[in-house]
Amino acid sequence: MSTPTPPAPLTPAAPTASGATAAAGAIDARKTYGVGDAQVHALDGVTVSFEAGKFSAIMGPSGSGKSTLLHCLAGLDTLTTGATFIGDTYLASLDDKALTELRRTNVGFIFQAFNLIPTLTAEENIRLPMMLGGDSGDQAWIDHVVETVGMRDRLRHRPSELSGGQQQRVAVARALASRPQIIFADEPTGNLDSVTGTEILSFMRNAVREFGQTIVMVTHDPVAASYADRVVFVGDGRITGELTDPTADQVIDHLRNWN
Amino acid sequence: MSAGTLIARKSVRARWGRTLAILFAITASVSFVVGSFVLADSLRATFDSLFQELNEQVDLEVRAAQAFDSDDARDPIDVAIADAIRAVDGVAIAEPILQRYAQLLDADGQAISPPGGPTFGVSWEGDDGLQGVTVKEGRAPSGPDELAIDKATADTEGFAVGDTVSYLTDIGTFQGTISGTVGLGSADSFGGAQLVALDLETALVHFGADGKVDAIDISVADGFDVTEVQRAIGAVLPPQTEVVTGEEVAQETADNVNQFVGVFGTGLLIFAFITAFVSAFIINNVFQITIGQRLRELALLRAVGASGRQVRWMISIEAFALGALATVLGILGGLLVARGLIAAFDAAGAGFPDTKTVLQARTILVAAIVGIGITMASVIVPSRRAAKIPPVAAMRPELGFAAMRSRRLVAGVVVTVVGITMFMVGLFLRPGGTRGLAVFAGLGALLLFLGVASLSSTVATPVTRVIGWPIEKLFKVPGALARQNVARVPRRTSSSASALMIGVALVSSTAVFASSLRASLVDTLESAVSADYIVTDSGFQGLSPVVSETLAAVPELEAVTPIRGISGQVDGSTKNFGAVDPVAFDKLVDPDLQSGTIAELGVNELLLHKDPAADLDASVGSTVDVTFQNGVEQTLTVAGIYGDATFGNWLIGLDTLAEISEAPARDFFVIAKLADGVDPATGDVAVRAAMAPFPQANVQTNAEFLDSQEAQINQLLLIITLLLAFAILIAILGISITLALGVFERTREIGLLRAVGMNKRQTRRSVRWEAVIVSTFGALIGIVVGTFLGVVLTLAVPDDVISKLAFNPTIIVAILIGAVVAGLVAALYPSYKASNMNVLEAIATE
Repeated sequence: MSTPTPPAPLTPAAPTASGATAAAGAIDARKTYGVGDAQVHALDGVTVSFEAGKFSAIMGPSGSGKSTLLHCLAGLDTLTTGATFIGDTYLASLDDKALTELRRTNVGFIFQAFNLIPTLTAEENIRLPMMLGGDSGDQAWIDHVVETVGMRDRLRHRPSELSGGQQQRVAVARALASRPQIIFADEPTGNLDSVTGTEILSFMRNAVREFGQTIVMVTHDPVAASYADRVVFVGDGRITGELTDPTADQVIDHLRNWN
Repeated sequence: MSAGTLIARKSVRARWGRTLAILFAITASVSFVVGSFVLADSLRATFDSLFQELNEQVDLEVRAAQAFDSDDARDPIDVAIADAIRAVDGVAIAEPILQRYAQLLDADGQAISPPGGPTFGVSWEGDDGLQGVTVKEGRAPSGPDELAIDKATADTEGFAVGDTVSYLTDIGTFQGTISGTVGLGSADSFGGAQLVALDLETALVHFGADGKVDAIDISVADGFDVTEVQRAIGAVLPPQTEVVTGEEVAQETADNVNQFVGVFGTGLLIFAFITAFVSAFIINNVFQITIGQRLRELALLRAVGASGRQVRWMISIEAFALGALATVLGILGGLLVARGLIAAFDAAGAGFPDTKTVLQARTILVAAIVGIGITMASVIVPSRRAAKIPPVAAMRPELGFAAMRSRRLVAGVVVTVVGITMFMVGLFLRPGGTRGLAVFAGLGALLLFLGVASLSSTVATPVTRVIGWPIEKLFKVPGALARQNVARVPRRTSSSASALMIGVALVSSTAVFASSLRASLVDTLESAVSADYIVTDSGFQGLSPVVSETLAAVPELEAVTPIRGISGQVDGSTKNFGAVDPVAFDKLVDPDLQSGTIAELGVNELLLHKDPAADLDASVGSTVDVTFQNGVEQTLTVAGIYGDATFGNWLIGLDTLAEISEAPARDFFVIAKLADGVDPATGDVAVRAAMAPFPQANVQTNAEFLDSQEAQINQLLLIITLLLAFAILIAILGISITLALGVFERTREIGLLRAVGMNKRQTRRSVRWEAVIVSTFGALIGIVVGTFLGVVLTLAVPDDVISKLAFNPTIIVAILIGAVVAGLVAALYPSYKASNMNVLEAIATE
């Protein structure tokens, strides 16, 4: 690949576990909306990296910039200044075509809601990223993923015929199906009841444990964050701290202290 | 299957209502286009083979020669020529052909007029002859007391073989026994015409033909070479006659009919393309809106790895599939349209023979271009916009809408200005003659419509607020909601109104044109013409000179002149010469004489309009050399020069015309004036009594003539509106879909309103008035644009034809009422949909 290899990430405020490789990250990322007095800094100099093969969470209150950070990391949105990278690729160096290609092959997405194309069946939704690239994917792997999320019986159903939890399971399967380098999840349990939410989080954690999948998840739920290997806290567009192998209580304490 | 095709297919299937609406719009347009072509092609093929069949036995025909191609009737030739021809070696049969005016009378002595068809008297020699007439019952007429008539007339009037009937000719009323009924091939009628057939001897006398016939048909005996015989006949013919082959005659006749069929087909085609154009608007709008509704879905596709091109591709495939399907349906529909129209003409008495249905490869190609073309063209902009949706819009839709917005104001102004310029250039400068005029004016109008459609969104909000004001006053909250909903999506309002705007603009421009035409006619009749009576021909052959002679003998009338015509060439270019009685014309018409005399116009003298006079540098006393269509060359002396071209640019006296041509005189119309001091009521009785024996003469006073002209103008407007029916229907459908999609988008909002106490009726009402505001807006813009086009069009017509501008407020009011009705119709489905929403589900909708 002609893209230059990124330098070793600058030492972040809270160093990552030593020896691990970064699957994605941001270097002095700034994102500004508006001009003059109305200027808002959604990201105000964020430097952070996320390890490969780990389940990371980004936490912060509404308006903290956590979603913007995720969108920019995933190449869905662009920075005002600074850089983001996935693996050894700087996103700013890619044009729309290359970025699309990157998202299709190296990135998976799970959103809070409206995750699936309403006119396609569950199976077609799962295969969609591969189909867009014109290949049929690894059938054995897809079968395995479908089995894991327990959707084998529902493959021919349309999203409107599935419950919220089932829809989100299809979304998880879609994200896993192409074996992306990294999966970004934006409040994946935000619209689900606690039982279904727990189920989805367990799937995600298992995918990390069993398949070595890298997942970065944005959430404001301490319980959801406790499923992650590491939690990064964001406030006012900056990194305000982090926890490794957190419990829900630790997360709550951290939030309380910060406030 | 690729992801693009899959999603396109699923999208078509999942949105049936929308898909059906688009399908309908395209299918209707394609049907109309195909129908126009198939109808014209079918009629052409039918007439071609019909005339070939009719002339099958005719190898050669002898007739008067023409100096140049002219639509004028050929001069008649001496019947005695037939004897000379019969003496030529190889001539088997030489049959003189005569066709004049004749009309049957019913038992009460009233003339029988076939609906929409002419009435003919012909000579017919029965089976011995060569004419392709088929005997249906009985036998051919023989002797002065027999006649044959067409079977269609016999059937409708209840005449049978053996009945005695009366018939009118140019010279009087005759009586005869029906010897048989006839038809044309398999048809019972002759293209809707009424036919009286007599044997040649009788025809020559009863039709007042004075020993002259139209032509002589010849069949060549077996074993002789047609070309040889043609040459031999040519040698015995008197000057100014010619001998041509039967095929040539058949082709000329067919060409004449086909010219009419062609004009008719082109007329239909113009409206077919207007329908297609309107459909494109609707399809564009529907795709535009649904792309807005699918914004998150499309953004999600982008997020999971679809490229912008794939998104565009997806929408294009969807459009292509719809266009292709609609093309197939449209071709089938077009065949039905063509058959339906032919059946309708037949029902109206056209009496077409068995018509083939001709579907040419060219028609299929045009159908595909129109069907697939308009659909693909309509999604160019929407699909480009869809490709611009950023992936992040999957989570933040507001960013997607911002990205799809584009500036249209500049483009709209440019397109409008270019459109107006082209329209004006086409009408006033006419680059490249009539074709250039049509192309420039047509394209200009098209661009103007596109430009105005784009610009109208900038005025949509204020204008619809004004339209909505009385509705809000009247219907309180539902009215206010309707008013606000229209105003908050100005672009959507303007594009769904635009489809209606086009239809309305065409109707109102015609209205301006027609009103101006009428006003100019009134002006002319009041200032230039002092006639009290105008006698026109209700048949198709022109009036017999007996009509004007009879009127001239009425003592209550002071001046009577017929207006006849002949074409002649001056310096190689063809001119139409009008022939009048100079003394009477001088009393009846004030043609703004500038020099010379009218009343003293003598034989071989000419009255000339000032424009050709200036072109020829002619003044009173100059001479002009003219070659008339029958080959007669004459030098005419200019006796007067005038300025008003109501009666044409070249006028000669009736006696001059008689010197030039022996063709049976036919009058376009006759004008007459009551003598001074005659009581109009007394005069009227006298005139109508004198005209009673002439059913084909349509006697009208000045005022009645104006009324009938107005009725014709209104009929023209009605026909145009009917031809626009498809386009208007599609426009209404467009408003309906737009509204239904809007209701769907506002599900949550409507649910909320219902939850806080708005009842079903109020919900329906708010949607209904929303539709009315949109349709009224479209009609208003259409009236403005149409009036502008009409004014330009009217000004472009030479002052001889249209000298003043006039408007018709009644039509404008009618259009506005129609627009309100259209809105109410369009709202039927969306308002039902809105009021029958499940309130709980609606609120729960994301």
